[in-house]
Amino acid sequence: MKGQIKYRFVLLAFLGVFSLNMAFQDLYAQEAEKNRVRLKLDYVKIMDGDVYLDIKASARIDKKNVEISNITLEVFNEVNDEEIDLGNVITNMKGESKFTIKDLKSLKPDSTNVYTLGISFKGNDLYKSASKSVSFRDAEITAKIITKDSTNFVTATLKDISLDSLLVGHSLDVQVQRLFSPLKIGEEFNNTDENGTILVPVEKGIPGVNGNLTLEVVLNDSDDYGTVKALINAQIGTPIVEESTFDQRTLWSPRGKTPIFILVIANLITFGIWGILLYLMYNLFKISKS
Amino acid sequence: MKISDQLIKDLAPKKFGKRGVIWTIFLSVIIVLGIIAYIDQLIKGQEVTNMRDYALWGIYISNFVFFVATSFVGSVTVAILRLTKNSWRTPLVRIAEIISVAAIIMAGITIMIDMARPDRLLNLFIHARLQSPITWDVVIIPTYIVISLLLLYFPLIPDLAILKGPLEKTQPRLSKLYGKMALKWNGSKAQKALQEKSIRIIAIMIIPVGLLLQTIDAWLFSTTYRIGWDSTNFAPYFISGAFVAGVGALVVVIFLVRWFKKLENYITDSHFDKLGKFLVLACLTYLYFNVNEYFIPFFTAKKGEMAHLDMLFTGSYAPLFWLVIIGGLVLPILVLLFKKGRRPKSMFVIGILVVLGSWWKRFIIVTPTLLHPFLPIQGVPESWRHYFPSTHEWLITGATLAMAFLIITVLVRYLPVIPIQRTADEQQMLQSSKNSKS
Repeated sequence: MKGQIKYRFVLLAFLGVFSLNMAFQDLYAQEAEKNRVRLKLDYVKIMDGDVYLDIKASARIDKKNVEISNITLEVFNEVNDEEIDLGNVITNMKGESKFTIKDLKSLKPDSTNVYTLGISFKGNDLYKSASKSVSFRDAEITAKIITKDSTNFVTATLKDISLDSLLVGHSLDVQVQRLFSPLKIGEEFNNTDENGTILVPVEKGIPGVNGNLTLEVVLNDSDDYGTVKALINAQIGTPIVEESTFDQRTLWSPRGKTPIFILVIANLITFGIWGILLYLMYNLFKISKS
Repeated sequence: MKISDQLIKDLAPKKFGKRGVIWTIFLSVIIVLGIIAYIDQLIKGQEVTNMRDYALWGIYISNFVFFVATSFVGSVTVAILRLTKNSWRTPLVRIAEIISVAAIIMAGITIMIDMARPDRLLNLFIHARLQSPITWDVVIIPTYIVISLLLLYFPLIPDLAILKGPLEKTQPRLSKLYGKMALKWNGSKAQKALQEKSIRIIAIMIIPVGLLLQTIDAWLFSTTYRIGWDSTNFAPYFISGAFVAGVGALVVVIFLVRWFKKLENYITDSHFDKLGKFLVLACLTYLYFNVNEYFIPFFTAKKGEMAHLDMLFTGSYAPLFWLVIIGGLVLPILVLLFKKGRRPKSMFVIGILVVLGSWWKRFIIVTPTLLHPFLPIQGVPESWRHYFPSTHEWLITGATLAMAFLIITVLVRYLPVIPIQRTADEQQMLQSSKNSKS
């Protein structure tokens, strides 16, 4: 009997501890420290193309940078302490997102013609709330190719649109679009002169499909203007000659284009051996008849 | 020439005893289990194996390479010993021919198992590209099967004719079958001339074809640029490895056949001694090519090669690697160099070690290389980084090995394992020379 009571007591104590533990699970979850979200926001304007915000969300967890995917960020236009909602974006698997601004004129600048765009994250079970903003003035780059003494040059002019003034002493990058990363040409720094202009020679011999090159003139990550980029398509490169072996008989061609020497050797060996084998089989027949 | 009754009594096929029946049932059970596993693999696909994106060649391919290597025994023992006029070969050649036939048939079946979709087998011929070593393999394996069968059959014809009569009363069905297979053999000069000429042609032809088979097998690997395979040494390395596997298998089977069939008067200790010397030559040659295969990449120490060699020498495959090299190659050499080591029982143990070593050696050649691709393995489940065969793979592979044993068992049961006519001829010649001396 005593043993039975003892057994029941142990069982009850065990169940009690188990239930208490279950009840406090939520509490523990709430007490777990949330991680801080790091937001990166860049304004990019491509002349005669898209204007957008480049967004990246990450966090530092266990001394490692972790990209935060699938979180919703609100995008707004900030004017004199007022936030005008522009829409939402969701980060992809790499924690990145792109918010396209359909028309810059639809945004409101402050009294000094500075645009301020912001993003904010409300926070969730894992991450604290966060926000980030970027301010910029509207600038433009006009770029074209000119030829002097049979040398091609990229000439580009940088201008502040709201002030309608040329921008002097800003460094512009000139580069050729490539598959993985652009190929820079010209000096390391191409500063705009008193006319807000740069002149950069384009080397001869840069390869392009049919000689076509896409040149970029970029004001890169400026504190005042963000990133502004102008693209020029010009047929000034050296045409790429495709060294195709498509119609040739190669080791990697389809069966219809097998190299002749392989056809000859392989067939000679195969038919040679099988010829002898057939002769041997015929000998079996002859043995049975002799 | 009259064949003595004693010779026929000793060498004619006999019915299985109890041990033979148990052995056959044991093999049949393994085969049935393997067939069930294979049917499941056909239904569910190769998902049931542990082969994935990286280790896409697993135990099936290493088993295939082992069978191809073992089939080389027909070329090295039968043909080479015949052409070099080594008369001691007589009681051994038929068993070698039987092993050769069993191994090459199973090689063909094993490669189809690895294909997973046997219904697409015809595509290998319809869409064959002659530039691909795989196509050469598709051609050479059936060719070698036919040559091996002819190599077994031609010398067998007189023996079948001899056995037809004595078995007429005791085993009439077998006698009838032998009669048909003997092709009306009466030992006439014309028949003998045709037979001898044909055997000579096969003996000559099987050597280059055997070398071609092993070479193509090696090229399947060495033409892929992969670390551990990209080697000009690979074809001779495979040929010497096949020499080892083939002679090792021959030693094991000969010991068992001699023991079961009580053929000690025909397969003597002297035969084992000679086979031992033959095997040690094979092992030394293979060791030399192994040194070549591993020393040069180790010495030049290219980054990818070093990662591969580290895995073999000190990494996860090190125990298996050293077991294969030491147990399957160095130890046999050390034992076989001594006369005592070439006695039948120690030869049998060494033969088993060599065969096991040869089988696992193929596994070491195939798998570790696949786990070292040129681009790092990323974004895949952890299990894809390693490979060890699944239960399905073991069952199916076990069944293929059992099938090879079963083919050997059936052929040993129904065929005279020692050439009767040739043994009689040799006995006659010996008697004549004795008479002439006295």
